[in-house]
Amino acid sequence: MWRSVAVFRFASLGYAAVLLAVGRANYQHVPLAWAILGAMTGWTAATSLAYGGRAKRTRLLLCADLLVTAAALFSTIAVQYPRSIQNAAMPLTATWVAGPVLAWAVAEGAWAGLAAGLVLAVCDLTLRHQHLQSFYRSPVLNGSVLLLLAGAVVGYVSTLAARAERALQHATELEAASRERERLARGIHDSVLQVLALVQRRGAEAGGTAADLGRLAGEQEAALRALISDEPEGQPALLDELDLRALLSGAGSNVVAVITPADPVLLPGDTAHELTAAVQAALDNVRQHCGAAARAWVLIDDEGPAVAVTVRDDGPGIPAGRLAQAAAAGRLGVSQSISGRIRDLGGSVSFTSAAGTGTEVRLRVPRAAQRA
Amino acid sequence: MAESAVRVMVVDDHPIWREAVARDLAEDGYQVVATIGEGAQALRIAGSVRPDVVVLDLLLPDMPGVEVARGLRTAYPDARVLILSASAGQRDVLEAVKAGAAGYIIKSAGRAEFLDAVRKTAAGDAVFSPGLAGLVLGEYRKLATSKAPDTPRLTEREAEILRMVGTGLTYKQIAERLVISHRTVQNHVQNTLAKLQLHNRAELVRYAIEHGLDSA
Repeated sequence: MWRSVAVFRFASLGYAAVLLAVGRANYQHVPLAWAILGAMTGWTAATSLAYGGRAKRTRLLLCADLLVTAAALFSTIAVQYPRSIQNAAMPLTATWVAGPVLAWAVAEGAWAGLAAGLVLAVCDLTLRHQHLQSFYRSPVLNGSVLLLLAGAVVGYVSTLAARAERALQHATELEAASRERERLARGIHDSVLQVLALVQRRGAEAGGTAADLGRLAGEQEAALRALISDEPEGQPALLDELDLRALLSGAGSNVVAVITPADPVLLPGDTAHELTAAVQAALDNVRQHCGAAARAWVLIDDEGPAVAVTVRDDGPGIPAGRLAQAAAAGRLGVSQSISGRIRDLGGSVSFTSAAGTGTEVRLRVPRAAQRA
Repeated sequence: MAESAVRVMVVDDHPIWREAVARDLAEDGYQVVATIGEGAQALRIAGSVRPDVVVLDLLLPDMPGVEVARGLRTAYPDARVLILSASAGQRDVLEAVKAGAAGYIIKSAGRAEFLDAVRKTAAGDAVFSPGLAGLVLGEYRKLATSKAPDTPRLTEREAEILRMVGTGLTYKQIAERLVISHRTVQNHVQNTLAKLQLHNRAELVRYAIEHGLDSA
């Protein structure tokens, strides 16, 4: 962007020089005009250099640029015949006045470009028409409008370009992060996971303190495995749908196994979150009634029109009749909060319990939520 | 070594694991005929060492474990493959099982669980961990959306049993609950896998014919 602005400034400087050489007749002080043009060249070179570096691209410089350009524009009064000015001859600066407008637009966006354009347009109109009453029918207005447009459009485009560049950078960073994660996952599989699994296994065989160590290693192994087996590429492009597998995998531990299909189980975001919360409540129930060591399984079954999640524990189970009895007495507690959530999603909940095979809660939620 | 000892080949790129698994197997009376760290090498020697069971890690340095499972079908069709993996992607496990692996067990499973899996594999039974049941169930759910006439389907009973295996119930518990024999449960489970493998093979053949690879 900045390079294009510099190119434009030098090109318009050349144009101004050609105009001066050809239209010498309009000037009463030709040597002074050349001197001013020389100063303009120096300023162009200096600003182009300064704009090139991010550090020197300050607001002060932008303001100075605008002032110098306006001064150069007004110097036309000193060098041209008043008659030429009245006849709408090109001022000394010619198209060079657009330089700071572009600089402002690129640096600060559309509004700044518009403001700079407005300042210079007013200067231009004041220069040509000492009588401001007539400016609205002047042909010079054309140039002013174009100046304003240039400021607005270039500002808008440069904002867009900056945003696109940021987006690209963000995407590149994400890609690098995911590649790094893959590399780590490979590394962890090759070493840490294997050793942890081995420690767990040998520890369990040795018994005693070693068994405790083994159990700890097993917990870490399960946590690490869950961490690196999250498949970020499995995340859907649609942000309003979530993969239930990813949400529920957080519930997994060395006593809770989360069993899923190989493909993403997509649900609308709020449905997925509510269902996850219900499953979490069911698991809390297991902890509360069967202790922290009770094992549990969470099975996700994507039936197509509906998604079913079954939570089973290997606790003592609830004797037949107790469940209905508790429900009748309104003492189902956490179970009630599970049922409530699922009913709100238009789904159903069923409890099965048998001595020896623990308690099973089956949550079933239709894909297209039928809200009450 | 007894004449009837089950011959096992261990394919795992991690030396500590390879040795630990081999030792466990040897202590339990298995004959470990080879321990190998690379898939290509495993395929090369399978024919000469004639393993009854191949304990296979899916993450190998030289080639995907799924390819090894598939390759073993041709290299030595009598070998039954048991996947033993630490962190393999679920898709990979499912593909390996569809390609003919008899079962899948995770590395953090205990020694007894592992030896039981090897015993089942050697006996020709499928080794269905809850995780594998979930994957197979999911695969059938996906196939159910297909309109093709020869797509395998689950019967009500098979779906019910897969769901039970997927929530950690043992065959014995399932048999008691459904009031059927242990063997019947085993057969149902086996059947779900066999249908998938058959379908997978048919798909491969169809693919080969469509792409003119059948002359090879």
